[in-house]
Amino acid sequence: MTLTCPFRELLAPAVGLDDDRVAGKPDFPLMPVGQAVDMGHSRDGTPLVDPRIFDSAEFARNPYPYYRILRDHHPVFHDALHNCYWVTRYDDVTACYLDEEGFNTIPKGMSSGVLGNTQLELSGIEHRRRRNVYGRHLVGKALDRRMPIIERLAAEMIGGWMDGTAPEGSVVVDESTGERSVELGRAFANEFPIRVVGQVLGFPDDARADFFYWYSSMMNGLGGSDTAHVGVEARQHLEDFVEALVAERRAHPIYLYDEAGDPIGRDIISELCLATVDGDQLSTEEVTSNIALVVGGGGETTRGAILNLWYLLLQHPEQYAAVLADDALWDAAFHEMLRVASSIGGQPRHNTWDLELHGVRVPAGSLMHMVDFSANHDDRVFADPERFDIFRPNLYTGKIIRSGVRKDGRASHLAFGVGPHLCPGAWISHQETVIGARVLAQAVDHIRIDVERMPKDIDGTSLAPIGLGAIRTLWLRIGARG
Amino acid sequence: MADGEGGWRSYEVYQRVRPAETLPQFKPRRLTSRELLDDPYPVLAMLREHTPCYRDWPGNAFWVTRYDDVTSVFVDDANYETRSKRWPYGLEGWGHDLGNEPEVVACIAARLDAAAEPVARQIVGSFAADGRVDLAVELAARYPLELLINVLDLSADDGAEFATRYLTMQRGSGWDPVGREAGLVAMEELAAMFERLLASRASDGGDDLVTVVARHGATGCDLVATLLEGDHETLHGGLANLWFLLSAHPDQLDVVRSDRRLVKFAYLETLRHSAPVPSADRFCRHEVERFGRLLPDGALVRCSAAAANRDPRVFADPDAFIIGRKDLCQREPRGSYRADGLPSGISFGTGPPSRHPAEPEDRPRSRYAITRDLTVIASEVVLDELPAIRLADGAEPRLRSLRLGELHTCWSLPVLW
Repeated sequence: MTLTCPFRELLAPAVGLDDDRVAGKPDFPLMPVGQAVDMGHSRDGTPLVDPRIFDSAEFARNPYPYYRILRDHHPVFHDALHNCYWVTRYDDVTACYLDEEGFNTIPKGMSSGVLGNTQLELSGIEHRRRRNVYGRHLVGKALDRRMPIIERLAAEMIGGWMDGTAPEGSVVVDESTGERSVELGRAFANEFPIRVVGQVLGFPDDARADFFYWYSSMMNGLGGSDTAHVGVEARQHLEDFVEALVAERRAHPIYLYDEAGDPIGRDIISELCLATVDGDQLSTEEVTSNIALVVGGGGETTRGAILNLWYLLLQHPEQYAAVLADDALWDAAFHEMLRVASSIGGQPRHNTWDLELHGVRVPAGSLMHMVDFSANHDDRVFADPERFDIFRPNLYTGKIIRSGVRKDGRASHLAFGVGPHLCPGAWISHQETVIGARVLAQAVDHIRIDVERMPKDIDGTSLAPIGLGAIRTLWLRIGARG
Repeated sequence: MADGEGGWRSYEVYQRVRPAETLPQFKPRRLTSRELLDDPYPVLAMLREHTPCYRDWPGNAFWVTRYDDVTSVFVDDANYETRSKRWPYGLEGWGHDLGNEPEVVACIAARLDAAAEPVARQIVGSFAADGRVDLAVELAARYPLELLINVLDLSADDGAEFATRYLTMQRGSGWDPVGREAGLVAMEELAAMFERLLASRASDGGDDLVTVVARHGATGCDLVATLLEGDHETLHGGLANLWFLLSAHPDQLDVVRSDRRLVKFAYLETLRHSAPVPSADRFCRHEVERFGRLLPDGALVRCSAAAANRDPRVFADPDAFIIGRKDLCQREPRGSYRADGLPSGISFGTGPPSRHPAEPEDRPRSRYAITRDLTVIASEVVLDELPAIRLADGAEPRLRSLRLGELHTCWSLPVLW
């Protein structure tokens, strides 16, 4: 026998017998925005990343210092707790997105459990054929013809703030000053995008009441979250509604007309019903899955974009003033907002082959998270990335690039993804957000954030950071335009 | 990877979740909670009974929990692969694992056989004279290390350093980067220590493991890799859990006391009832459709021995600790998981119970048999030396994992005799 007693003194530190830090889910402290919790260092001083941080409240509100550590020190981070690799640099993320063969979309990926089999999980020609069935209805001339309808919807809803037809509790009138407090989410952003989507899909008006339930529940149920079953139930509820509609449209496709009475085309449900891929009609299941994708993708993301745009812009009054002075700047504001705080954080990919990237060997078939949030804040591409600046010289803010990421010496943000899976709703989402913003800016005077009613950061006074995704509510204070 | 032009999928397998298939009361975070560390059985039973191949999105894994499913994965090397412990370290090419070299297997088996009883007697003999000891620490955790030191024939100074570094290295193959950093340091220090010993023993005629691998021209890294890929956990955890269960069931302890033949059965039932290694990970070699699901190429299949061993489809009254249970295989089921028409407990995360399923006559004993015999020998020594052993008054021992994915065992078991 070799080891001298007491053995416990040898054992305890080596196995962490008394180390409570490592058991279960730790409570990471909430840090001032921009600062990271110290998670340890390697011998050469490289900061380490505790993978439990990704599940923490701290990370959800203050993710960017952690992404910076990942980009600077672990550009491909093997997270053995979540069995995945995080890819965080702009150039790596875009290269992977553009390499469709090397980085496959995941069969049965995060979304399919709830949404069903959609083009998110397809690749190559299969993906393109299905996407084109409706993608072409959301761009170009088809989109141009929808713009007056979008504008009318926005004007109608914003007008409701003044005439008392806004959703209950979303507009509060201050009797002493005559000013109004408006919760932009309930009064506008929750419903505006899906009214557009409903119109594009050809949903009857009476389905509107359930729209918010469908998309918010489905989106909250993605990725096996704790509320996954809510998403699954909402998806079923949507299917129960849509099934009859699909049967009807198969027999009687509906044509949409613009205000001048010119045909825009068939609505998307009719298109999906009549489309053939490889000589086969799409099954009802496939049609409803794609409807679920359009409802989820078209609702939640644009809702977030509208709220984030106003939240950011109104925190930078000089930039808001510039936008008011020059209408053309709305596009730059929209893109810079998406760079700073987009609704979708990135896309998962499977690497098709074994590969080595930045010295990390990744076995074939691994889950590789392409972190758009991080790539958009990569200071190798965007200097001073945490700052919201609509005049940023390095951000491309022109017409969305269909292939590639750079144009005119500027780099595009990745909020809509890149390459073959570029969001087909990017163009219409852009128009919704910007048209809605223009209408709103013209309708009201002296608009600012109602700070009193908004959630605060840990210091108790400043506004809470956006963190991952989008803010949920935004109270604005407005004076009515006399 | 699906067949087809360009390497992408040319077909689809439909896999939407339906409302009836969800478990509204089940939160995926329970699989990373403290609850799973302390008592995983209720959570695992829920998965086993409702979603036998549970898609754990946050952990990016498929949990397989039924006995027949788990064993079907373990024996299916064509579809599933085991990944080396050097993989989380990012050291796949570092050193050669010599664990399956015939000389190494023979050397380890011979040294362990010779050392088992003397080491156990020495350990038990060293217990304080006040008739009180923490059996989990002083015997269960210590015994495997003393045996390893004996196999390597280390001096007292080297032995103490080895023990700390070895444990640190094993722990570093988990998910915690802080532990991994410590593990990397420990591996380098171990490699340096072995380089020194290998140089001095290359021309020895000794029969210890260092000398045997030195004769093969192995490096310090090779020896470290061999030790890392090896496993002391079933020995440690099995011994601790056995005595935890015996001390919690004094009537069963009396039975074992009166019939030593039952020590082996108690051990086998321990591995079934309280598996020290609760789950083992396998990765799909290619896309495969199993358990009603499409498992993509590279998917992590987490095989839960803890859940499978309590599967009521296979074991009657599975939560009860019954020594000599009639529905449990009481011998080594070579090359499979069943023998004599009976299922064995799943305990070894290393694949089929025996790597040497049958003939030839002179095959080395399997790890299964070696580990079982080492535990039984140590337990018999305890019964010999401490015949009146019982749980200390007021002690409330429990099983727990210190961290996710680690040994589920008893870390403190104060006993009197």
